[in-house]
Amino acid sequence: MTSIKPTRRTLLKTGTAAAALATFGPGILRHASAQDVDLSPYKSAQIDWQQVSGETITVAVIPASYFENLITLAPQFKALTGIDVRFEKIPPAQIRQKSVIDLTSKTGTYATHAADPMYYALYAANKWVEPLDTYLNDKSLTDQAWFKLDDIIPAWRSANGIGGKLYGMPYDGEVTIQVYRKDLYDAKGLKPADTLEAYMSNAAALNTPNDRVWGAALRGVAGAGQNMYIYPSIFREFGGDWMKGGKLTVNGPEAEAALAWYVDIMKKYAPTAAANWNWPDIADAFSQGTVASYIDAHSSASVVNNPEKSKVIGKVAYARWPKGPSGKRTTSIWNWGFPINSALPEKKRKATWLFIQWAASAETQARTAHRFAGPTKRSGVNRTSVWRDPDYIKLMNGFGENFVEATMGALQDDTDVDWRPRVPQWPAIGDTMATAIQSALSGQATIKAALDDAQRRIEPMMRG
Amino acid sequence: MTAKRLRVIALLAISMIFLLAWAFPIIWSVLNSLKTDSDVLAYPPKLFFSPTLEAYRDVLLGSGSILPNLLSSVIISVGTTVVTMLMAVPAAYALARLRFRGKKFAGFYVLATQMLPPVGIIIPYFLVLRNIGWIDTYQGIILIYLSFSLPFAIWLLVSYFEDIPFEMEEAAYLDGASRLKTLWRIIIPQVRGGIAVTVVFVFLNAWNEFLFAVVLSGNTVRPVTVAMFNFVSVEQTLWAKLAAVSVLAMLPVVVLGVVAQKHIVKGLTVGAVKGGGRR
Repeated sequence: MTSIKPTRRTLLKTGTAAAALATFGPGILRHASAQDVDLSPYKSAQIDWQQVSGETITVAVIPASYFENLITLAPQFKALTGIDVRFEKIPPAQIRQKSVIDLTSKTGTYATHAADPMYYALYAANKWVEPLDTYLNDKSLTDQAWFKLDDIIPAWRSANGIGGKLYGMPYDGEVTIQVYRKDLYDAKGLKPADTLEAYMSNAAALNTPNDRVWGAALRGVAGAGQNMYIYPSIFREFGGDWMKGGKLTVNGPEAEAALAWYVDIMKKYAPTAAANWNWPDIADAFSQGTVASYIDAHSSASVVNNPEKSKVIGKVAYARWPKGPSGKRTTSIWNWGFPINSALPEKKRKATWLFIQWAASAETQARTAHRFAGPTKRSGVNRTSVWRDPDYIKLMNGFGENFVEATMGALQDDTDVDWRPRVPQWPAIGDTMATAIQSALSGQATIKAALDDAQRRIEPMMRG
Repeated sequence: MTAKRLRVIALLAISMIFLLAWAFPIIWSVLNSLKTDSDVLAYPPKLFFSPTLEAYRDVLLGSGSILPNLLSSVIISVGTTVVTMLMAVPAAYALARLRFRGKKFAGFYVLATQMLPPVGIIIPYFLVLRNIGWIDTYQGIILIYLSFSLPFAIWLLVSYFEDIPFEMEEAAYLDGASRLKTLWRIIIPQVRGGIAVTVVFVFLNAWNEFLFAVVLSGNTVRPVTVAMFNFVSVEQTLWAKLAAVSVLAMLPVVVLGVVAQKHIVKGLTVGAVKGGGRR
């Protein structure tokens, strides 16, 4: 017969306890999971993970799910090595600027950072970062049989190498592939394009702006990582060579044909606004059903398959780059790698290497991808063995037809180390080319004039 | 009479067009901040939708909460404003009233830091702060902000001080007041408006600053202008959240603007008639 009548005091007490639990609960749980987690896969490596226990390093990454997943696992790294890692999230445009300032001033703020592969030429020329072979070959620091460097995607390793030496360990990467609406293609009896010519005619066949469907879209906005991310593939497919006769060359007949193709498809079959789009905008448009196909990073598959936004789930399929007149398919070889800052004292360099080894290991790659507990799984793992893991394949095939085949095919056969000119002057060259491409697209300059002008601007940079 | 009315209507129409053009981005942000991500992308844009505070809840209480960033912004802006005003008021008074050697040059060099493009001085600033260990600290950022807010504040205040008739000060001296007392009791109350305007401008500049903040800040001190950028990730732009943060970041500015509107307008025109260009 006794009923519980909560007094004001007990209510307050319970409320406070609940609030405290809500505030600290997740932290306690996280802590617990770090304790319980199985570290034996790491401990099978024949090295002393605890050798620089007590060190603290700061790592700069960009805000992206694949780094968020790694950050979530940081307590495991701490438990394994005793090293504290502070992560700083910096947007992509600023991370280059901040890390270059840190490296030039030799302040050693960032032990490592998510590095752009195009910057290694600059880093290595100035000896700002360490050649990683020193660490890889040191038996006290690396168990090569456990780490299996060869398992890491070769194209990304060569992209991060200068003169045969590796400077940044690939962590996550992407390739560019065709993403298309299978339902629209099927309705017109079209197949994913095998050549750039066919890609153009497919776009023409599907382009019905009155129904708010455009044939294709490519990155249009000017920037070294925007239009100058997609154009180099076209340039190479048309037979272009950045280092013609040992001299950096951006103009000439192949370049003109490549830029003409790009301007043509963008002007005729892409939404007008695409001239100002970066890839999130393209993926957003595609997910709303207004673009029939695009060529961009395979990782965009997670956006076009996001159930909260996308209207095209189940209608998406993938294919490798169409071949160019040269008979080649050329994908991007983008990856975020981790270099070691040379300005660090020795112990911190060791701690940094242990962090890099841990992050790039097959075990951590799997734990941040298909074995990750959170909602967003990574799609850009750095190891062939993970790409062949049936669990990973099962997860990735959820993105649509042919996703794993197209991505793996591109990774194995379509990568090209000379996709973009790998010279220390790249940052300035990338910007100059981006402006040239945009001025041709907007009609401010003819294709030839835009490229010749870029060449004139680039020549003095190469002398300087 | 009708001609006059026509003119009024025409002027009103023109102002409405301009107002719409200026207000549109703000209205758009507010609308987007109340939508879900799928409503943001809907075409044609939805004017009628069931508003949700989800984006606000996420950016305030979610895992990437911007509350610490808002706090950072408040500390930086208030700190910059207070220190600036403490130094700018006496400096401006000195430049307006006192005669001392090198005054002409002092007036000129106050503006020196304003003459360099900010991008050009980021690296030196970074190195200086790094060497004294003030990277990613409030005192470091406030110190750097002073380098542009202080000259600006002094410059603005000088014209207000110069407007005050010298006879008022003389009267105070005749009554036996010291210079400091005169400044405090007679002059400052006269330039209240100017001080208010300067406070608003200094605060707004500090609040909206991005370029220095992104380089000189880190995990400890991260103003909202920098944090906001993380909603534009390499994977996708989180439009609704970005809009929600923009609206939140706009709020203090708007409130301050409304409160100080009368003074701001006067501040913008004061140099047009006299003062600013005199030196």
